Amino acid sequence: MDLSLNVNGRPEQFSAQPNELLVERLRDGLGLTGTKVGCDTGQCGTCVVRLDGRSVKSCLILTAAAAGSAVTTIEGVTTPGGELTGLQEALREEHGTQCGFCTPGMVMALGELVDNTTDREPPTEPEIREWLTGNLCRCTGYHSVVRGVQRACSAARAQAPVEQGTAQPATAAASGQEG
Amino acid sequence: MTAVTGETPLQAPIQGNGLLGQPLDSREDPQLLRGEATYVGDIDLPGTAHMAILGSPVAHAKILSIDAKAAEQLPGVLKVATAADFTDVMPLPCIWIPGGVESHFPPHPYGLPGSRPVLSGDTVRHVGDAIAVVVAETPRQAAAALAAISVEYEPLPVVTRADEALAEGAPQLHEAVPGNLNAYWTCGDKDRTDAAIAEAEVTVELDLVNQRTINSPIEPRGAVGDYNAATGEYTLYASTQGPHNHRFLLSALVLGIPFNKLRVVAPTVGGSFGTKGYLYPDMALVLLLSKALGRPVKWVDTRTGLMNSTVQGRDHRQHVTLAGTRDGRITAVRCTSYANLGAYPSTIGPGVATALMGRSISGMYDIDAAFCEVYVAFTNTVPLGAQRGSGRAEAAFLMERLVDRYASEIGMDPAAVRRRNLVPKEKFPYDNGLGWTYDSGDYQLNFDRAIELSGYADMPARKTEARTRGKRLGVGIASYVAICGVGPSTRMSKEGMLGGTWESANIRVHPTGEVTVTVGSASTGQSHGTVFAQVAADELGIDPATVQVYEGDTLKAPYGQGTYGSRSYSMAAPAIALTARKLKAKLVKAGAVFLGVPEDKVVYADGKVFEAGNEENTKTFAELAMAMWYGWGLPPEIEPALDETTHFDPPDFNYPFGTHVAVVEIDELTGETEVVAYTAVDDAGNIGNPKIVLGQIEGSILHGLGQALMEHAEYDPDGQLVSRDLGHYALPRAIDAPFFTLDKTTTPTPHNPLGAKGAGEIATVPPAAAVVNAVVDALSDLGVQHIDMPVTPEKVWRRLRGEAQ
Ligand code: FES
Ligand code: FES
Repeated sequence: MDLSLNVNGRPEQFSAQPNELLVERLRDGLGLTGTKVGCDTGQCGTCVVRLDGRSVKSCLILTAAAAGSAVTTIEGVTTPGGELTGLQEALREEHGTQCGFCTPGMVMALGELVDNTTDREPPTEPEIREWLTGNLCRCTGYHSVVRGVQRACSAARAQAPVEQGTAQPATAAASGQEG
Repeated sequence: MTAVTGETPLQAPIQGNGLLGQPLDSREDPQLLRGEATYVGDIDLPGTAHMAILGSPVAHAKILSIDAKAAEQLPGVLKVATAADFTDVMPLPCIWIPGGVESHFPPHPYGLPGSRPVLSGDTVRHVGDAIAVVVAETPRQAAAALAAISVEYEPLPVVTRADEALAEGAPQLHEAVPGNLNAYWTCGDKDRTDAAIAEAEVTVELDLVNQRTINSPIEPRGAVGDYNAATGEYTLYASTQGPHNHRFLLSALVLGIPFNKLRVVAPTVGGSFGTKGYLYPDMALVLLLSKALGRPVKWVDTRTGLMNSTVQGRDHRQHVTLAGTRDGRITAVRCTSYANLGAYPSTIGPGVATALMGRSISGMYDIDAAFCEVYVAFTNTVPLGAQRGSGRAEAAFLMERLVDRYASEIGMDPAAVRRRNLVPKEKFPYDNGLGWTYDSGDYQLNFDRAIELSGYADMPARKTEARTRGKRLGVGIASYVAICGVGPSTRMSKEGMLGGTWESANIRVHPTGEVTVTVGSASTGQSHGTVFAQVAADELGIDPATVQVYEGDTLKAPYGQGTYGSRSYSMAAPAIALTARKLKAKLVKAGAVFLGVPEDKVVYADGKVFEAGNEENTKTFAELAMAMWYGWGLPPEIEPALDETTHFDPPDFNYPFGTHVAVVEIDELTGETEVVAYTAVDDAGNIGNPKIVLGQIEGSILHGLGQALMEHAEYDPDGQLVSRDLGHYALPRAIDAPFFTLDKTTTPTPHNPLGAKGAGEIATVPPAAAVVNAVVDALSDLGVQHIDMPVTPEKVWRRLRGEAQ
């Protein structure tokens, strides 16, 4: 069947078997290998992409079912060798990745959480851990990932255009702290 | 400023510029975070065909016939192959024959009876045993064609437990191995131990099951074979942690092709934890089929495939005994273990089950008499191999369970019993009577730190408070010593390891002053590129940004034995440091020429040479690099260029150690165990990059907690793996642990120039014991003396209701 998807801002037209999985289209059809396959039962989360803004496991969705939607993969998050997003930067600072196989899926899943915290209280540690339950990591024990998300959320809020944003440096100065 | 002149001895202390010990950011992380790293599944060579493997659906059977005609007719299918196609290919070697086999002076026989062929022909011995392969144009076509191969089986009786496999009348796996006994192995002094136990004031005994586990790296294994007909050269891209070793074993021992015609490349590897250091049939098959078809052949495993074919771990059934005095002095420990080797001896599986476990059983304690015997048996299960913390974790589990059992028997505090029996600082090097000599340690300091940090003294109050919330709080301690730093090669030969275990490094200084370090290890997520650059830059006194690290490609790197057993930083990094010292020594000689002063007046420090007492007369590292590249004016005894290699074979192993304290809360109603606090104080000697090590410690602890609480590779009586995918095999998720409280002590080893001990997996060793000790503590008033792992809510719930184990 002839299908179309918008992938990372680019329209793609192709013909696909009805039983083709979205992850197969992305990896094998479009060569976007940043999205990984770690299991065959929808358990590991290495294949998470964003479908019309929401994170989904691309191994659990038929390409046909995603037809007409906008897909964002890890390749759509940064340019090759380019600047990291706030979340990626925070994960880098906390060394939230070791072998890296789970990482693209984590970045895609956690990106949604971080993006949605600029206008609300930052997520608590248990909330972040809950959010992460769909993604398995065997290397890090998740701790550095959780710290990375905390860091990213604080940074995102600090940069968000809220009133007390300008008051913070004064507070720091008043308490005698120096950078 | 530290300075060096002339030659430096092997064991000279660190002489760096202070870079070591700094938490530099991992330079690998940005590519990983952008999804730009290439794993084996991402390799896409032009013209690639795809391979799928038919695994046996039954655990034990004779193969009566295989009919592949229908499969061959399917669209896209290029070839179907069975054992009959590979009769000239040798079995996959097993290179660890326990019990010391120096009689196998090289060239050695390449395997044990029972070694596995690349495809099984007349008999299958475990579910997933490879019997046929299909190569097709697409992965889907290859997978679809597997279903069209019809195989006729004649079922044979099945055995999945090691102790049952050794019983009279048990099903037999290999004709050449009557009775299924692969090895009987002992260490320690049996008579002395038996006597100490017979005479003891107090003895305690436990029957333990150290259940089978699956490491489950998140990336399943994969391999791409590429044969070049024009040159006769083979290239294997594989998710391997030991490319050089795989090259040696595959070329010379399996395929029978010249060593110099095989190149093995490890791309980015998505975790391993021991499992990707083994030789698997697929590695040989993609090469053979690439040659047969004239195009690259690629295979990437599924998760279910991994569960049924990648080596599994632990799996001991043990009877253990500890003897001591009424006042808490341990006098003897004894272990009889039945180790489940699986259907075939994997590359080093027999050694994991024996020496790596048995020689460590006395842990951190100064015990007069110790003895361990291991029966290693074939069964109809996936071959046994290393799992993160392999052998050491099983040893720590049995000893630390015994200590708690003993403490409860004599009515002493478990911390006090441990404290009393720790090997005292002044006894190092300490011969543990089981074959290991611990290099260095301050166990008291480490132990006290962990106890204090965990708030151990407050536990009674916390227990009372927890009761008010319907929870039973328990606290468990586990201490450990973990053998790391494998070589020394000669010692490993005595252990029965057929092969050297040294490590090497090359440093090449380019004319522009930049540096390339190549090493024989292969990272599976340990940021080697960052840490090894740090080591070279530290020794040479240069900016780490100018140092590039390469590894994992046998064409580019010097020989090495790979990354396993937490050995990279205490084996490859010393090789780098020693190589840098060779370069410095050469630069001191050359500096005499360039500075126009006698050699004993030349100082190398902070990335330059200068005249002692006259720092104006100096040449920077970059100037020296260029001058050595030109080679002008050098006397005949100094070769031009700067390019040195070191093969490092340490005088002995190193022995990191530590103490962990787990606090659990058990829900009275549901039996659920929650780890509410976890304290770990580990000692890995001098640490190169604490940021990298922190990540490894955290990951390791959660891995260990996984074994305690949820992981179990469970076989049914027919030999079917019940936990065959991630829906049935539970891995810890982010909600399964709180943040850990971590600290370290630092006791350098004398066995390498960095004073570094293994670190990567050591923190996987004690958590299972700490958690089970904590659970038993929480249930002790119910008369519970032991509970088998994994400690599931159901098991605990039954114990809460007074049911026996
Ligand atoms: S590949 Fe594991 S959840 Fe999709
Ligand atoms: S970093 Fe290796 S699985 Fe997460």
